[in-house]
Amino acid sequence: MTQALSEDDIYRTSTQYRLWSFSPDALASLRTKTREIAVERLRRSSEQQAARNDEPEVVEYLTEDEELRLTQRYCDQIRSTSDHLKWPVHVKATAVQYLKRFYLSNSCMTYPPKEIYKTVLYLASKTEAIHITVSDYARRISTDPEQVLAPEYKVMQALRFTLDVKQPFRGLKGVLMELLNLAEGLVGAVDGADSMNGDEVKASMLQVRRPPEGNRTQWTPPSSGTLDGKHLNDRIQAAYSAARTLLDAPALLTDVYFLYTPSQILLAAMHVADEPLTSFYLSTKLPISLSTRPQILATIHACADMLAAFDQGAVLTKDERTALEAKLDKCRDPGTKDLIKAFAAMRQDGMEDGKVEEGVAQKRKAAREKNERDGDDLFGPSLPKTNEGSR
Amino acid sequence: MSRLAQHKTSPITKREVRIGDAQDEVCPVCKSSRYLTPSLRFLINPECYHKMCESCVDRIFSHGPAQCPIPGCRKTLRKARFRAQRFEDLQVEREVDIRRRVAAVFNRREEEFETLHDYNNYLNEVEDITFNLINQIDIEETNRRFEEYEKMHEQEILENASLEEREKVAFRDAKKAERDLAKERRDLARKEEEEEKKEAEENKRDVLNRLAAGQDAEKVTKQGQQVTLKKRMDRQAAAERQRLLHLSDARNGSSSLIRGLKAKVKAEPEAPIDPFGGLKVETKYFSVQDDYVWAGVQETKADVLMGAGGYDVREFTTRALCDAFSGLGVFIGEDSAERERIGVDEKAVGTITAERGVKRMEAAS
Repeated sequence: MTQALSEDDIYRTSTQYRLWSFSPDALASLRTKTREIAVERLRRSSEQQAARNDEPEVVEYLTEDEELRLTQRYCDQIRSTSDHLKWPVHVKATAVQYLKRFYLSNSCMTYPPKEIYKTVLYLASKTEAIHITVSDYARRISTDPEQVLAPEYKVMQALRFTLDVKQPFRGLKGVLMELLNLAEGLVGAVDGADSMNGDEVKASMLQVRRPPEGNRTQWTPPSSGTLDGKHLNDRIQAAYSAARTLLDAPALLTDVYFLYTPSQILLAAMHVADEPLTSFYLSTKLPISLSTRPQILATIHACADMLAAFDQGAVLTKDERTALEAKLDKCRDPGTKDLIKAFAAMRQDGMEDGKVEEGVAQKRKAAREKNERDGDDLFGPSLPKTNEGSR
Repeated sequence: MSRLAQHKTSPITKREVRIGDAQDEVCPVCKSSRYLTPSLRFLINPECYHKMCESCVDRIFSHGPAQCPIPGCRKTLRKARFRAQRFEDLQVEREVDIRRRVAAVFNRREEEFETLHDYNNYLNEVEDITFNLINQIDIEETNRRFEEYEKMHEQEILENASLEEREKVAFRDAKKAERDLAKERRDLARKEEEEEKKEAEENKRDVLNRLAAGQDAEKVTKQGQQVTLKKRMDRQAAAERQRLLHLSDARNGSSSLIRGLKAKVKAEPEAPIDPFGGLKVETKYFSVQDDYVWAGVQETKADVLMGAGGYDVREFTTRALCDAFSGLGVFIGEDSAERERIGVDEKAVGTITAERGVKRMEAAS
C-alpha cells in the first residue's frame, strides 16, 4: 500500500497542529477560561483566610489584558536573555513558544512568569540541543539552579509533553534559496503552474515593481533606472533580512504561532518585507487553477497584517512591569508560592499527585525528621538497630 | 536416555589411549618393543579396539576365531577383521567407524522429504542413534531400532547407495571433461599465438620485398600495417563468434560439461527498503533542484569537512523547502472547527503505522 503525503499532511501530523493551533475565538475563550479557574481558586483561598483572620480582604485580580501583556513582556525578556547568551534564533523561538503555551493553561496569578521564564529557556536549550549544564546556565544569568529546575516538571505538564516547535526560520532560508535560483533563471518545476523557461523568469523578475512605501525592505532601486542581476540579488537579500527581523520580534511577541502555520508566517513576513517580490514568487508556486489559492493568499495577507500591525512600543516598559508585578504580588496564589520547597519535597517524598502512598511518605518523613533531631545531639544520631545479629 | 548420561562400560579406558606414551611403542600382548623390532606394526579389531602387534595377530588368530588376549576382554575376534589404525586416538577411530556404519544405512536425501523441517527432524533422529551407539547409551534399544530400520527399508537403502555411486562417477567424469576442455583451450591459444607470429613475419617480409621492388616507402608501410590490423580484427571476430556459440550451447544445456542441473530460476530483485511502511511524500508546492546558487549552500558543498562524514547538502535544501511549504494549505481556524465537527480525536491523527497497529490490536481482541 502506498500512500502519498503532501507537505500539508506532514504538518497535520505535528503536535503543533494537533494540540497548539487555535482559531482566534478558541484561543480567546481558552484564556478566559484559564483565568476564571485561577480567579475562582484564589477567591476560595482568600475567603478561607478571611474567615480565619476575621477581616474581609478585598483583592484586585489581574485583568486578562494585563496577564497577556505581562506574558508578552516576558517573551521579550526571553528574547533578550537568549541574545545575551548568544544562542541561535531557534532556541529563542522555542522558548517563547513554550512560555506562551504554558500560559494558555496556567494563569500568571498562579505561576508568575518571572519564575517560569528561566526554566522555559533552559528547557528550550535542551530540546534545541544547546548543551549547557544547569549550574553554568544559572551562573550566566545570575540565578539559583534550584530556581531553574523547580518549575520544570510543571512546565512539562503544561506543555503536555510535546516539545517540538515548528519554526519558520529554515523555511525562510528555503525561500531565499529558491528566489536566488529564480534570479539566475533556474526554475524548479511545480505541478500545474504555468511553466516559464529560465530566461522568461529572469526577465519578468526584473520587471517586478519596486517595493512600495510601507514595506520594510532596505532596498531601493538604483538611480540609473536599469536593473541587472546584481541589483536583483541585493533586493532578495534585503527582503530576506527584513523578513528575518520580522520573524524575530513581531512573530514571537504576537499569537501568530497559534493562529497560522510556519509556512504562512514566513511568507507573510516576506510579504511585509517586499510585497511585489513575494507576490511574484507565489505566482510561480500557486497556479491560478489551484482551488485553495485565494484562501492561501488571504491567510497570508491576514497574517501579514498582524505582523505589520505589531508595535514594539506596545511592550511593557520596565516601570510598567514593576507596577504590574507589585499588583500581582498581592493577588498571587499562596498555594504555589514556594515552588522550590515543593520541588524538594517532591524529590524526597515523591508526594506529587499521590505517586507514593501517603503512609509510606509519612513514614519516610518521620524517619528523616527523627534523624535530623538526633543529629543535633552531641554524639550524633544512634546507629540503626540490627536484628539480633550482635548478640 | 539422555546425551548427558554417563557411559559406564567403554571398551577403551583413558589410560590405554594416551598419546605419545612409551606404551604406544610396546605391544601389550607380547611386550616386544619398537626399539628392538623396528618393523613393528600395530593392528586393531573394530570389535573391541584393543591394539596388538601384527605377529601376535598371526600367532593367535591364524587358526580361527579366538578370544581377545587383553585381560578382561572376552570378545571373540577374527583375523580377517584386523586392520591398521587410521587415527591416533582410538576413540575417534571408533566413532568414525560407527558413523560410517550408520551413514550407510541412514542414507536418505533431502529431496525425499516434503519440507526442510522434516529433513532436519530425520537428521536429528539419526544423530541421536549415532550418539547412543558411540556412547553406549541404551545400546540394546538403539541397536534394535537400527536393525529394524535397516530391515524395513532395505530396498530404499540400496537404491540410495547406488544413486550416490552414480553421482560420484558423474562428478568424476565432469571433472575430467573440464580438465580436457581447459587443455584444449590452452592448446588453441598457443596455436593462435604461433599463427599470429608467423603472419607478422610474413607481412614484414612482404613489405620488405615490395620496398626492394622500389615502391613508395610510406605507402607500403601503411598498407602493411592495415593488413596486419585487418587480420587481427578478423581473428578477434572469429573468436568472439566461437565464444558466443559456446555460451549458447551452455545455455541450451547441450554442454558436455555438467548434466542434470536444475534449471535456475532467476531470483526476483529485492525491493528497496521502505522505512516508512508505504508512506511517500509527494511535494505539491515545490520541487527540489539539484543545485542552488545561494552562498550558504555553495560553501557547505565545497567544505570538505562537511562532506567527509557523508553529509549531503541536499538534505538541507530538501528539508528547508519542505519546511517552507509544509502547512501552506492548512487553514487553522477552519480546520480546527472541522476537527471538532467530525470529532477526530488525537489518537486517530497518528501516523499510518500507528493506525495499523491499533487495527491489529482491535482485530486480535
